[in-house]
Amino acid sequence: MARYAMVTDLRKCVACQACTVACNAEWDVPAGYARTRVRTTPITGTFPHLASSIYVAQCNQCDRPPCVEACPSGATSQHDNGIVGVDKSLCIGCGFCLEACPYDARYINPATKKVDKCDFCVSRLERGAEPACVITCTAHAKYFGDLEDRQSDVFKMVYAHGARRLETSTIRVGPNVYYAGEHASTDLVLAAFPPRPPRLLAAGQAWSRVLRPLVLAAAGATFLGQAVAFFNQLRNGEKDFED
Amino acid sequence: MRTDAIPVHPLPLTAEQAESMLQRQVKKHHIAIILLHWFNAIVWFFELLTGLALISSPLFRVAPRWYISIVDGVFGTRANMLQFHVALGLLWIGVYLVYAIFGFRTYLSKEVLRNEIALDLDDYRWLVVRTRRILGLTREALPPQGIYNAGQKLFAFMVYAMIPLVMVTGVVMAFRLFGTQVVGWAVVLHFCAVGAVVCGLLVHVYMGAVFPEEKPAFFSMITGTVNELYAYRHHFKWWTVIKAEEQAWNQQHADEAVAPAETARPGSSSADREPGCPG
Repeated sequence: MARYAMVTDLRKCVACQACTVACNAEWDVPAGYARTRVRTTPITGTFPHLASSIYVAQCNQCDRPPCVEACPSGATSQHDNGIVGVDKSLCIGCGFCLEACPYDARYINPATKKVDKCDFCVSRLERGAEPACVITCTAHAKYFGDLEDRQSDVFKMVYAHGARRLETSTIRVGPNVYYAGEHASTDLVLAAFPPRPPRLLAAGQAWSRVLRPLVLAAAGATFLGQAVAFFNQLRNGEKDFED
Repeated sequence: MRTDAIPVHPLPLTAEQAESMLQRQVKKHHIAIILLHWFNAIVWFFELLTGLALISSPLFRVAPRWYISIVDGVFGTRANMLQFHVALGLLWIGVYLVYAIFGFRTYLSKEVLRNEIALDLDDYRWLVVRTRRILGLTREALPPQGIYNAGQKLFAFMVYAMIPLVMVTGVVMAFRLFGTQVVGWAVVLHFCAVGAVVCGLLVHVYMGAVFPEEKPAFFSMITGTVNELYAYRHHFKWWTVIKAEEQAWNQQHADEAVAPAETARPGSSSADREPGCPG
């Protein structure tokens, strides 16, 4: 099985937003929303020692995706190749996954009211094409491939050239989008756009921690009470009403 | 003509009286209620079956994974399952709307709500005695009951409260209305309301299908009638109402009465009041 990954080389990226445009066109992303977006970190340091970095944000197709667990209906699921997909026909628009994502990579499409996010252009992959952002990138800064294939560009970028995952010491969900470049650049990105702890909406917490145990206990107690009643009935051999 | 005095408390019956009352049927349910009941039962069966399988995340699910896989397999895809769940739910809402529009004067009148849902003192005592009897703690006689006993009333009360909640939250989820916060809470409320109904449903099904004393009540949901002895023993206060109505009717039609000796005994005609409680 493949383990798809993407590498963005921050030394090559010129923040032209061609990937954003290609993605929006490919997926009919409504204005004001994006599956991928190029951002820049604030300028740090004092003149003349200034520093800034580019950050290409998108879904990281994490190894341990918090969004999958947060989805009540199973619309969000992880495929065997590592891609985290959204089955739109199952999405009920509850927004639990938006809160769960440490990278805020999801949005609710205002037209369909369903969730949408980058899925490495899985339908393009199926017909043998590369993701829209990769083929459009004007600076050839994006690489896409299989991490289990030792000949692939992404394998070399990650294991030979030290491309990094955007992880902190506390938030480690195994993102599969890597960033190549100076360590200082990725540090700037991590400082400006750090992954946040996954959240569960109050409604989800209420169900998962309080109401679900309560409902199960109530149904279980009712069932047990009736089992006792039923065995009493058998033991006493209560006569039918008609007799 | 002669009319029997209606007893205020259930009196012991002679074997002959009991036998003749057993042979007489009195009307309990209108055909519309019977059809609605079984439609409702079928809908709940399939909605629970698919609903349990639709909640798949380990954070939220109540059914074991093997159950979810089986139902997934039956429907082929989870999307089919959700479509089925939503379509059947909308049909259910549609049927209830028709029922509400054409029947609210009959089924939701103040009088019906007072007689079929509100609990009186006998009902509270009944709940205690019934529970103790089922658990084998006492053999005390049950306090007299109206057309629905206190247990049925409680179930009806909960169903009346929860069904609109299930419908509204279901529609909110199906059409993703009012934004993610509202849909998120709708998911949870939908689960809780259904959970509450299921607790009542367990008792309802047990009483209807397993409990021997309520057998006539089960068959009344098929035939629409119960025998008079059952009405006398289990729903004494309702029986007095039927009997009073019959006597009033007989008085009115005394001239047409061919044989007064026959009309003096209740049970040959039926009450024209139609209960609307799904309990």
